[in-house]
This record gives sequence, structure tokens and C-alpha cells, in this order.
Amino acid sequence: MMSFDTFVAVASGGLALGAIYALMAAGLAAVWTTLGIFNFAHGAFIALGAYIGWQIADAEAAGLGLAAGVVGAFVGLFVIGILFHLALVRPFERRPDIVTACVITTLAGAAICESAINLIWGPRSKQLGQLARGEVDLGVFRLPVSDLVLIAVVGATLGTLGWFLSRTRTGRAMRAVSQNREAAELMGLDVPRLYALAFGLSAAIAGLAGIFVGGLRFMTPTMGTDPLMKALIVVILGGIARFTSPIYAAILVGFVESFSNYYVGLYWTPAVLFAMMIVVLFLKPSGLFGHHQRTL
Amino acid sequence: MTAPLLELRGLTGGYAQTQIFQGVDLVIEHGATVGFFGPNGHGKTTLMKTISGVLEPWSGDVIFEGRRMNRAAARGSRRFRNFNYDAVTRRRMDPKDVARAGLIHVAQGNLLFPEMTVTEVLSIATLAAAGRSAPAGRTDVAALFPRLAERRHHKIRYLSGGERQMVSIAAGLLAEPKLLILDEPTLGLSPKLRLELCQSIRQIKDMGVPLIVIDQDLAFLSALIERLYLFDHGRIARVLAKDQIPGHDALMSMLFGEAIE
Ligand SMILES: Nc1ncnc2c1ncn2[C@@H]1O[C@H](COP(=O)(O)OP(=O)(O)OP(=O)(O)O)[C@@H](O)[C@H]1O
Ligand SMILES: [Mg+2]
Repeated sequence: MMSFDTFVAVASGGLALGAIYALMAAGLAAVWTTLGIFNFAHGAFIALGAYIGWQIADAEAAGLGLAAGVVGAFVGLFVIGILFHLALVRPFERRPDIVTACVITTLAGAAICESAINLIWGPRSKQLGQLARGEVDLGVFRLPVSDLVLIAVVGATLGTLGWFLSRTRTGRAMRAVSQNREAAELMGLDVPRLYALAFGLSAAIAGLAGIFVGGLRFMTPTMGTDPLMKALIVVILGGIARFTSPIYAAILVGFVESFSNYYVGLYWTPAVLFAMMIVVLFLKPSGLFGHHQRTL
Repeated sequence: MTAPLLELRGLTGGYAQTQIFQGVDLVIEHGATVGFFGPNGHGKTTLMKTISGVLEPWSGDVIFEGRRMNRAAARGSRRFRNFNYDAVTRRRMDPKDVARAGLIHVAQGNLLFPEMTVTEVLSIATLAAAGRSAPAGRTDVAALFPRLAERRHHKIRYLSGGERQMVSIAAGLLAEPKLLILDEPTLGLSPKLRLELCQSIRQIKDMGVPLIVIDQDLAFLSALIERLYLFDHGRIARVLAKDQIPGHDALMSMLFGEAIE
């Protein structure tokens, strides 16, 4: 039997993981719902975010502290995302086979990003610091402050994104483009610019996720592959139709992973997750919280 | 002499493999209200989509207020095919430029944005008018479509076809159009709602907005417009002034008489 303290530790770890996956999945979904393509470079964006954050934050490099690293990763990846869209997605936008073309170009982009990291920072693994130290005592149980900070930052980011999409005119224009491109064009909306913005935001959020992943594990150029796979499971489980639907699924996957790591063992966790995904796909192909209509 | 409001010169277009219309020439003066009438599936919607740029013209020019809206190179020409980033990513005609110039197209059966509320849709509709001096005071859409006020927090996909059409037209008006294209605005509506909408369209005309109206109801059209274009087999078969417009039956035999020849 598991002690209460262990239970709380495993659960809060699961929630923190779930929060990271929610960030990743929301970024993936933002590009999928607007452009209708799947970005396989999303994992590489995570790695880039972590390395850029490290370059700014770490004492061996610029040493400006983790908060500056977070901002740097966010802004840096926003710019990289826009350039990525201009170079690797936009030229194929008007082809009927854009989906397959972008599978290849985004995979190529991922390879380029990972090689670039290898060239710039070398293969030796690095680690980012924790967001905060210590634990808070909540009477019945204690929680690590870093987990709380992580959950708060993710919540604030997703909340801000939701506010941006529903309250600002630019955000509304982005949703309009994702729901009906032709009608948006007839309204005079600048579709390529809104696509670039969606890509930039998605990458910026991935950069933020990268900082968190870099604080949890050692950083390597391919560090994004595993979280990308988990985010894939999340979006399939939750449905990708709208950008909020993967959030619940992300928390679920985080919990399952955390408990399965404890009970079943680290190496069995992917099998448990994939089994869960297959069962869900059998029972509800559009995902647990999914809709068929894809919309931002 | 100032340039006409809209001029088409030898406009040819269609879908990827299929040419739908050919060599359409047309001049619409400032302040005009004109109608299009023709059999189903003969390319009226395709022509309008080409004018507004969502479909690329194959050849010919679209000139709005003296400004050519399309780029020169014809489809499939050598210059167009050579690889350069601009040619690959840029369209021959950009619907954004057309809308921002003030030519607003309210598409046939427009589904708009199903997951957005009426208020949200109307709030972005004004973006096309940004940075363009427009005749003020035309955009009291609340007075024009009182029905929309009570539905303003509903999502588009929960609206009836008529209400959706009203949102489409209201959004078009908020873009401060210098020329408004209405493609079958009364299609599939109940008689009561039809009358209501026809009334609103007359009011829009009275506000001084130039219109191109496509409709299958000749009585409504001939009361509204000054000139009727008969569209048949992808070209303008005949142009009729208001007092030349015959009844529906006579018109049909006119069209099909020509088609058989
Ligand atoms: N996306 C498309 N791809 C290929 N062909 C199309 C497409 N949309 C329409 N067509 C064809 O183009 C032709 C013209 O259609 P269009 O909608 O322009 O006619 P219309 O005159 O507007 O008809 P209606 O009065 O029914 O609205 C039709 O024969 C139609 O089958
Ligand atoms: Mg039509």
C-alpha cells in the first residue's frame, strides 16, 4: 500500500507533467486547427526553447537567471516559428498536397533544428535549474514549490491564450481563419499573416514547455521527441478539434504516466499509454472530448 | 473623366481543370445597382468569386476604381511558373486587397464562422475598412436587422439560414463597401423572411451603396435594379435596361432559345 505522502508526491508530479503536456498539445492544436497541418518540428522547438533558455539563464553562459531565460525562450521561439512558417510551410500552402508536403518539410525542419543545436551547443547534456526551491506545507501534505509555480505559469499562459483568442480582434481573426478560410479572405483578413502568427505563438508556447522539460530532465538535442510523442497521445485522446480539448486529456496522461511509473515501472509506461489510447480510439474515434469540426 | 467603379476586361476563369466563363467584359458606373440572372450552374458564383479574388483569374483584368486588382502575368505563363518565392506564395489576385479596396462580396450560402458569436463576427468585419476613408453613417446594422440584436450572443451555427444571411450582409456593410456583391441573398428562405430581407436590401440601396445582386426572383430584381445581365454558359448573353426586362417565362425562353441555337 502506498503511503499518503507518496500518493501526494506522485499525484503532484503527474499534475506537473500534465501541465507541460497541456502546453505542448495546445501549441500543436493551434497550428493544426488554423493551418490544417501537423507540425513534426514541435519537439525540436521544445529543445530549442530549452537551449535558448539555458544560454540566457545558466551561470556557465549569460547567467541572467531563469526568469530572463523564460522570456528569451518565448520570444526567441516566436521569431523562429515565424521564420519556420515562411521557409517551410508557406511555399506549399497553395498546393493540393500541402498535408503530405508539410509532413516532410516539418520533419526536415526538425532535423535541421536538432543538428543546429548539436553544432552550437555540442552533444554534452545540460540541465536547467528548478523554477523555485523548497516545499510548501499545506497542513495535511507538502508540495514542492516548483510544481506549484509550473502549474501556475501554465495556467496563466493557457488563460492568456484563451483570452487573446476570444477577446482581441486579432485573436478573433485567427479563429475566423481557422473556421472558414474563404469567408475570412472575403472579409479582407490577412490570412498568410494570421497563419504566421499562429505558427509563431505555437512555437513560443513550445519554447516555454522546453524550459520546463529542461528543468525536469537532462537536455539533449533530441529531448523533444518523447514529449512530442506524449503530446500526440494527448491530442489523439482529447481530440484536436479545438485548442482547449487536449488540456483535460493532458492532465489525464500526466497522471497515468506518473502513477504507471510508480506502480508498473518506467519502461512499461509508454505501453500503458498507448494501450489507453487504442482503447479510446476504439470506443470514441473523435477523442474523449473531441468534436469533428476543427476550430480554434 | 473618372474611371468607372468596376471594369472587367476579357476576364476568363474557372476551377483547376475546368474553365467556367470566358472573355467577360463589363463596366459598372459609380452609384449603379445591377442584377445578374441566369440558369443554375452557369457560373455566376464562379465569376463573382473571381472578381473578389478567392479564385484566381486565368486571364483578363479586374479594375476597381481605376486600379487593377490582379497581377499581369497570365496563368501558366513562363514568368509565372519560374521559381521565385514571391511567385510561389503570392496569388495573381489577393482577396484581401480587393476587400480592403472596398469591393465586398457576400458569398452565396455563406456559412461564416460556425463557432463564433454574432458579436464576435461583426467585431472583425470592420477590419476590411481599416485605413480607408469611407462614406460614414451607413453602418447602422442594428436598425437594419433588429433580429440580430437579440441573437448577438449566439454562435453562428445555431442561427437559422435567414439569420446567417443577415449576419453575412451586416458584416459586408460594416466593411464600408464601395460596391457590395450579394450572391443569391434570398436563397432557401421562407416567404416571410424573404420579404424582410428584400426590404433590407432595398434600404441598403437607398443608403447609396452600389450593388451587384444575383437572384432567381425576377420580380424582386427588376424592382431593385437599373440594369440586368443575363448570364448564360459562362458569358454575358444579354444586357437589359430596367424597362426592357420581360416576365419570367419570356426571359427563360429568351435564354434557352439562345442556348439551343
Ligand atoms: N469547387 C468547384 N470545383 C469544380 N467545379 C465547380 C466547383 N464549384 C462549382 N463548380 C462548377 O462550376 C459551374 C458553375 O457553378 P456556379 O456556382 O458558378 O454557378 P451559378 O451560376 O452560381 O449557379 P447557382 O445559380 O446554382 O448558384 C457548375 O457547373 C459547377 O458544377
Ligand atoms: Mg451561384
